[in-house]
Amino acid sequence: MSGEMIDAQRVAAEALLREARLLDRGDWDQWVAMYQDDAVFWVPAWLDEYDVTEDPATQVSLLYHDARRGLEERISRIESRKSITALPLPRTVHQVTNVEASSIAPDEISCESVFSVYVYDPRTAKGHSRHGRYQHTLKRHGAEWKIARKIITLANDNVATVLDFYSI
Amino acid sequence: MNAAALSRAERLSAISKLVDDRPDEQFFQVDRSIFTDQSVFEAELRYVFESTWNFIGLESQIARPNDFVTTHIGRQPILLMRSADGKIGAFLNTCRHRGTVVCPFKQGRQKFHVCRYHGWAYDSSGRNVSITEEGSGQYPASFTNANHDLVPVARLGSYRGFIFASLSPDVPPIEEFLGDVRVFLDLVVDQSDSGEVEFVPGASTYTFDGNWKLQFENGLDYYHFATTHSSYVDILRKRNATAAPDAGSTVEPKGEQEGQGSFSFDYGHAVNCRSKRAQLYGRPLGMDPARLDTVRQRVGSTRAKWMLRQRNLTIFPNLQVIDILSAQVRTWRPIAPDKTEMVSHCLAPVGESAAARTMRIRNYEDFFNASGLASSDDNVMYEFSQSGYAAAAAGPTQGYLRGAGDVGTGESFHTRELGVSPTEWSFGPTTFGGETNFHPGYREWRRLLQRAAEQATA
Repeated sequence: MSGEMIDAQRVAAEALLREARLLDRGDWDQWVAMYQDDAVFWVPAWLDEYDVTEDPATQVSLLYHDARRGLEERISRIESRKSITALPLPRTVHQVTNVEASSIAPDEISCESVFSVYVYDPRTAKGHSRHGRYQHTLKRHGAEWKIARKIITLANDNVATVLDFYSI
Repeated sequence: MNAAALSRAERLSAISKLVDDRPDEQFFQVDRSIFTDQSVFEAELRYVFESTWNFIGLESQIARPNDFVTTHIGRQPILLMRSADGKIGAFLNTCRHRGTVVCPFKQGRQKFHVCRYHGWAYDSSGRNVSITEEGSGQYPASFTNANHDLVPVARLGSYRGFIFASLSPDVPPIEEFLGDVRVFLDLVVDQSDSGEVEFVPGASTYTFDGNWKLQFENGLDYYHFATTHSSYVDILRKRNATAAPDAGSTVEPKGEQEGQGSFSFDYGHAVNCRSKRAQLYGRPLGMDPARLDTVRQRVGSTRAKWMLRQRNLTIFPNLQVIDILSAQVRTWRPIAPDKTEMVSHCLAPVGESAAARTMRIRNYEDFFNASGLASSDDNVMYEFSQSGYAAAAAGPTQGYLRGAGDVGTGESFHTRELGVSPTEWSFGPTTFGGETNFHPGYREWRRLLQRAAEQATA
């Protein structure tokens, strides 16, 4: 590998594992700081047994934010201690694997991976899992890599009670 | 009369009495067991859901020949489809041969539905077109002479593109069943110049571990909003403070009284409405002033005013249509006394601008999705209520009496404006949060169970 080439695989894996850790620990501020101001955070909905929505402007998504502000609102809602969905907050364990990253521009990495999130709700003493695919686009800002775009394709889309950024 | 029939009649009659409704005494309560008891659950599935009209889909979901969607009436799987020659039909989604679900898909377009088990085939009008190896089957005459088509629902009807079906023939005509709640469906549909509504692609399904009546009540409950959704209200306030007024913001005409209230109708239906001068959110209809003018000229300023007011319709037993910052169609399917499956659709008038459509979608995701900022709080709250209902020793709850001290009957300013004749109405300040609008649903629930009890002894 030439000195000019970035180690896309290593950069992406580090970012993905760090993101998973921050979510599981509830380090929301550090987590959201991984995203660009104009980052897209998108969980498409399933149209039928085979296809997901493709256009957030004309189709409904499960979650769609086209700026970090949307994620910050979700964090503020949880931290306000006014949303019953977070009283108590479910405990999560993210596992991210099958990471396949490639450099698509000098300062840009595209990455596919799969996830499973184990969600345990101390309110009900019940657990369930969420699983699917991540598609990350990372962009370099000086020495830092930030998430420019994250698409989460949720395999099990029949939502048990609540779905939020921390449980996928 | 045999003992079994008598005991069933007595049991159903006893269940119906779990709703204690004494309007003359301004008294209404329901027994907690209607949310928790397995025998109540089975009775209401059979004698409420499976014995009256249910909403099963929009005509625009099956706009073209051979389009289909699958759904349920109570426990029973339903296949709704448009035949090759354009006729709408609804059938029990079960093969006549061995009961297998004929169409296992959510939606699509197919001329034929072939049962995967033994290959019996049906066309999109429900007609059986093939019995595999019928000739070598050594069938008796009783089989050969029998009809093998998919079994249609007992009654099928539609109003302004909303399709309803009943598994029982013992129902009033759909127009009578809907009654004046049709005026409120008109207020949704007439936002489209062509008088058509559609579901925006991207429906979602979610469950909560609670009884379906928690959703039924919540959809008519303005009282919970300020507490349950306070974190969402905070977000809306912050958005309005930091950004320009929300796109699509509209104001009430001068001189209109702020407040909220409800209209109750026969067969279990009720509508909540709210007029408030300062809105926390805009409306898709307000996004495009030129289009709003066109709508106003078409429907008149009074109807246009009501189109811009929050309206929550409950069409008993399985449909709620909410028209606020977006529009939602939600239906529920009772799975168990303590489990309910919801299907939620974003509803839209055909022909709105691209900007209005995108705003409708973003607002819908924000508010209505189980992954959004408001319905998710409701879902968790239902589960807390369900666990609380286990405290049977605490007796009936006190959640049915806001407004019961001043129930309106006959005409009011609002009923005259809308041209509706509700059985009851209520109106109060913006903090009113009336609960008498739950009563019609429970009265219909009780009527259907009492009818079943009478039929059991007949």
